[in-house]
Amino acid sequence: MERSRLMMTLAFRNLRRQARRSLLTAAAMVIGGGLLIFSVSLGDGTHEDWIESGVRMGSGHIAIQAPKYAVSRKIEDRLGAASLRAVHEGTRSPGVAESVLEVVPRLTTGGLASSPTGARPVEVVGADPVAEARFSTLDERAVEGRYLEPDDRLAAYIGAELAEGLELRLGSRMVLTAQDAEGEISGQLVRVVGIFGTGIPEVDQRIVHIPLQTAGAWLGAEGAVTTVAVLVDKSRAVRRTARLLEDELAAPIAAGDLAVLTWQEAMPELDAVVKVDDLGNYMFQGITFGIIALAIVNTILMSVLYRHREFGVLQALGFTPGQTGTLVMAEGVVLTVLSGLLGIGLGLFVTWFFWRDGLDISFTWQEDWTFSGVVLDPVIVPLFRAARVIQGLLFILFVGTVASLYPAYRATRIDVAEAMKFER
Amino acid sequence: MTETQRVTSAAETHTDRAAVRTDEVWKVFLQGPEEVQAVRGVTLAIERGEFVAMAGPSGSGKTTLLNLIGGLTRPSRGHAWVAGHDVAGMSGRDLAHMRLQQVGFVFQAYNLLPVLTAFENAELPLLMLGVEEAERRKRVHELFERTGLTGLEDRRPGKLSGGQQQRVAIIRAVASRPALVLADEPTANLDSATSASLLDMMEELNRETYTTFVFATHDPQVMERARRLIRLVDGQVDSDESQQRGARRATDGSPIEPEAAPEIDR
Repeated sequence: MERSRLMMTLAFRNLRRQARRSLLTAAAMVIGGGLLIFSVSLGDGTHEDWIESGVRMGSGHIAIQAPKYAVSRKIEDRLGAASLRAVHEGTRSPGVAESVLEVVPRLTTGGLASSPTGARPVEVVGADPVAEARFSTLDERAVEGRYLEPDDRLAAYIGAELAEGLELRLGSRMVLTAQDAEGEISGQLVRVVGIFGTGIPEVDQRIVHIPLQTAGAWLGAEGAVTTVAVLVDKSRAVRRTARLLEDELAAPIAAGDLAVLTWQEAMPELDAVVKVDDLGNYMFQGITFGIIALAIVNTILMSVLYRHREFGVLQALGFTPGQTGTLVMAEGVVLTVLSGLLGIGLGLFVTWFFWRDGLDISFTWQEDWTFSGVVLDPVIVPLFRAARVIQGLLFILFVGTVASLYPAYRATRIDVAEAMKFER
Repeated sequence: MTETQRVTSAAETHTDRAAVRTDEVWKVFLQGPEEVQAVRGVTLAIERGEFVAMAGPSGSGKTTLLNLIGGLTRPSRGHAWVAGHDVAGMSGRDLAHMRLQQVGFVFQAYNLLPVLTAFENAELPLLMLGVEEAERRKRVHELFERTGLTGLEDRRPGKLSGGQQQRVAIIRAVASRPALVLADEPTANLDSATSASLLDMMEELNRETYTTFVFATHDPQVMERARRLIRLVDGQVDSDESQQRGARRATDGSPIEPEAAPEIDR
């Protein structure tokens, strides 16, 4: 204990002794630590935004489907009334319900939309107007008309590019054609009540929303759905909620009636984009901290070389080589941890500053940026996560320890008799 | 058993009365392609309680022999025993433990740690030995009082004169009550009055605690005070004489003959 206190005293005083050098290195670490926390928070905020946008436009944080539907996308791979009841009970069960924000049923199939002008391939979504309006942001994207309402029967809400391609306007009629539950080709006449524009070409060209009941009756699948999309309160709760749902739905899953997919499984492209972006961030931070680590190595190594004689004296007095190395390690780790903590504090302050109103980067954009059905929001709101702070601190500690290893090793290798001759 | 305990028990079981023994010890350095024989086959024994000066011109091997005796460097050939430990066969860690327990060093350039106060410098070996704080404070304060340094405990080395720094260095060397104190040119940077007072202090400690003092020196004052003078030339012992002059020339006039060895209370 006394020896540890001595080591810490020596470490602190030696850092203070080379105040300018220590402060310069600490400044690099403070900036690096601040940048680490802010960039990670910004990245997490961006990803949360992408995921939120993606899951609301797509199949939710968790999608419950017939096992083959994800591949076949055919109405024959649908959830029947019994599976649907089980799903509704499962989503209301304790543990699951507390994380679930919204549950929407959808009957989706591929088909053809025709007007007197021509025909286009489309994805027809039979949706519950009330639940869908709460779940999706599509209703907010109306450029003309309105979204579906509960009393609608033969209404359609279509994308702007599809409307343009088929020369459709509000009130125009069009025919939807698709394979029904019996495998027969079946048509349904609908009238355009709203046109939306998301800025995402694949959505604006292909998506057609019609009332769920209309779709069920047209396709001979009344009371059935192809997907139950579940929205949870935060993306980090997805895996846990999905596991709980799998436990609740163990019987129909075992019977091969349904499967529970997380958004990562249902939307692998979005998952890949998030992972690639994370990797880019980690590489950037790795390079930044690599440079900072070199500064620490330089500071501590210079200190070791400058104090060659002093380490010789310590060993002559009875310090073991290991204790001499530990002293050098202590200096590196103390410098890193103190400045790292300050840096994390700085990062948290900057994160808090931009968390209030978000960071608006729209001035760098020419037009809307989209990918994989996701519209990028130019106002990024950083996301604070305690786990990231702990990870940051551990990372900084790791960098400090690794950077101090070589100088510490050099200190252990001192030839005591030679060191005593060393003149500064 | 810890390393410290292991070294201690080895010392305790050894029956050799000599504080230091060397047997045909050599130290050879490579200086570029050249081989420099700094110490050439020196054999000597220094008994506990002796007050010895090793003298000789620059390059005669005094400091190297002192380093060999103190376990700061290992012999190229032969053996050197300190309090019964053969430094030739010891690991760096064991050597450090042996130095901590058995040897105190005083250097020409004082070599106090600039970031520690005078008191902290003096108590450093005691702290490393694990001596209780109350005992550490008692011993160091006593030595500060004896050496006239009371009141300077909290000063950093940079705020002390050369003589004061060397006194602190001597306190640091003797506070842990080692069997052996090795002093390399301890008076070289001091005026003759300061040197005389420091030598008085070391003679007194030698007499009272029976600590063995070995000096490497050019200083005639140290050579006169020593009760044994070993002259080195070209890495070999040229002469090794016991002398009575030291006893007659002590500044306080008291005899400096070693008394019966007291029990060393560690």
